[in-house]
Amino acid sequence: MRKAFVETLTQVAAENSRLIFLTGDLGFQVFDNFRERFSSRYINVGVAEAQMICAAAGLALEGWRPVAYSIASFATARAFEQIRISVSYPNLPILVVGAGGGYTYAASGVTHHAADDLALMSILPGMTVVAPGDSNEVAALLPELLQLPGPSYIRIGRYGEPSYYANEPAVLGRARLLRDGERIALVSTGDLAVPVLEALEVLKADDIWPIAYQMHTVKPLDTTTLDQLSQRVETIITIEEHLPSGGLSAAVNTWRTTCEKSIKLLRLGPVDAFALGNLERNELRHRLGYDAEAIVKTVRSLWDKLK
Amino acid sequence: MFSVKNKTANMSIAIPLLEKKARQLRATCVQMAHDGKEGHLSSALSCMDLLVGLYYHWLRIDPKNPKDHKRDRFIFSKGHACTALYAVMADRDFFPKKWLYRYAQNDSPLPNHPCKHSLPLLECSSGSLGHGLGIGTGMVYGLRLDGVDARTVVLMSDGECNEGSVWEAAMFAAANKFENLLAIVDYNGVQAVGRSDQLMGYTSLEEKFKAFGWNALTINGNNLNEIIAALDTFPFEKGRPSAIIAKTTAGSGVRFMEDQVLWHYRVPSDEDLKLALEELKEVAIHLEEV
Repeated sequence: MRKAFVETLTQVAAENSRLIFLTGDLGFQVFDNFRERFSSRYINVGVAEAQMICAAAGLALEGWRPVAYSIASFATARAFEQIRISVSYPNLPILVVGAGGGYTYAASGVTHHAADDLALMSILPGMTVVAPGDSNEVAALLPELLQLPGPSYIRIGRYGEPSYYANEPAVLGRARLLRDGERIALVSTGDLAVPVLEALEVLKADDIWPIAYQMHTVKPLDTTTLDQLSQRVETIITIEEHLPSGGLSAAVNTWRTTCEKSIKLLRLGPVDAFALGNLERNELRHRLGYDAEAIVKTVRSLWDKLK
Repeated sequence: MFSVKNKTANMSIAIPLLEKKARQLRATCVQMAHDGKEGHLSSALSCMDLLVGLYYHWLRIDPKNPKDHKRDRFIFSKGHACTALYAVMADRDFFPKKWLYRYAQNDSPLPNHPCKHSLPLLECSSGSLGHGLGIGTGMVYGLRLDGVDARTVVLMSDGECNEGSVWEAAMFAAANKFENLLAIVDYNGVQAVGRSDQLMGYTSLEEKFKAFGWNALTINGNNLNEIIAALDTFPFEKGRPSAIIAKTTAGSGVRFMEDQVLWHYRVPSDEDLKLALEELKEVAIHLEEV
């Protein structure tokens, strides 16, 4: 995803001479090409996230379109008040980039975990919040984010995540249909689209066909699609690499309070705890019960009950 | 009249008038705080002479064209002291003086912390300390890329310098050799519930800015001669940002408010207002107009 991010960013920068990039001293060698081509529009502020955001705000006030980049935990939580007061409050067109969102850096320990980034950014008025699932979604959504009149956040992963195919293109603010089906809907965000698709392959053999949507845009939530979905299924299962508060499942739960039809919600994702033990990411997903295996198990037992 | 080129003439004519102006605007602040029932008066009074020096002598700004791209950028980072900012902006005709009656009222363009949504003339909203200098550095960077020869000034409080983000911004400004950036610290010694010297471990602000790669000088920030002399020396050094450490008295100009932590928050009573106006021998500018 990071490769797709920097390539798309470089393309946009070539077309938009007002785009300017700030980093909190991260992205070793990632931005070398960008820096060579647009040296004056590449700013390393140092390990100073508050300054990165305030400087981005000053640049935006002077008509620039800043992109502020750091590891997700530092880009969001460390500079939260600066984003709240100097980005969200004045509604400036700044894109905050959280690299390694969720438990991308699982084994690096709690300091590098960002399972609260979507909550922190979603709670800010006017903020658009996006968690693409693969490089194609990054490449499709990034140019759209860089056209927005207000602030936005994008959670990106690392390198070499698997890409997937869907019938629909990724469009900002719209749930992306991965596979059509019936009775149960799986709604994922971030790269959990990948285990969802793996699970669908397994379930297919048992003639189990849930619907799968990738909700890359967490805010504003695509309630139109959810409303339509509520007419077609009895259960929605959300899958996210985020704490229970403030992420995708919380957003869907809030939508449900406005939904006329009674619908059951299930959530697969991390529990409300720091992820201790320096686990490798896949092991963490397995133990916390939101990998492909867990998705298969949940859907299968639900499908049987619905029969 | 506000050209900085003819420094001597500007200074020799203006100073007694500027001092009178500062007294008038202090009276305005006390009246606003009394009527609006909002405090932060000692912080407003301490920086009044600095604002008068900036707005009547140094800033290249035009009330008739307030968003001119070439204007100097002024960030009032110590937002809690905004009666002083509003008074001086009204007096310079950036907006009607009668707006001052609405200070801190419902739906007012002049809330008790400056909000750009309410008053779009502002460069930015303020109220949360430690943002202004960082925003200022972003502006300087952008202006430099655009080749605009505007200066950027950030007025902060000494308590604000407790915030780590101020020093992140200070480092960035020096690293980028922001010669067009001026930070002014209203060093009035009083914070919300304590003394700034004690809370900063009795260390020098001037030395701190110098250690961060700035050129800095300390002046009496309630003396318009010194303020104007310092402003006219800007930039203090080629290739470095400049800082003025303006030693001021909290509540300056009204003796019973001076150097009192109490007056950081206290709202003046009818009696306080009467006493203050008697001492200042001036009335608020918006009352005069009616």
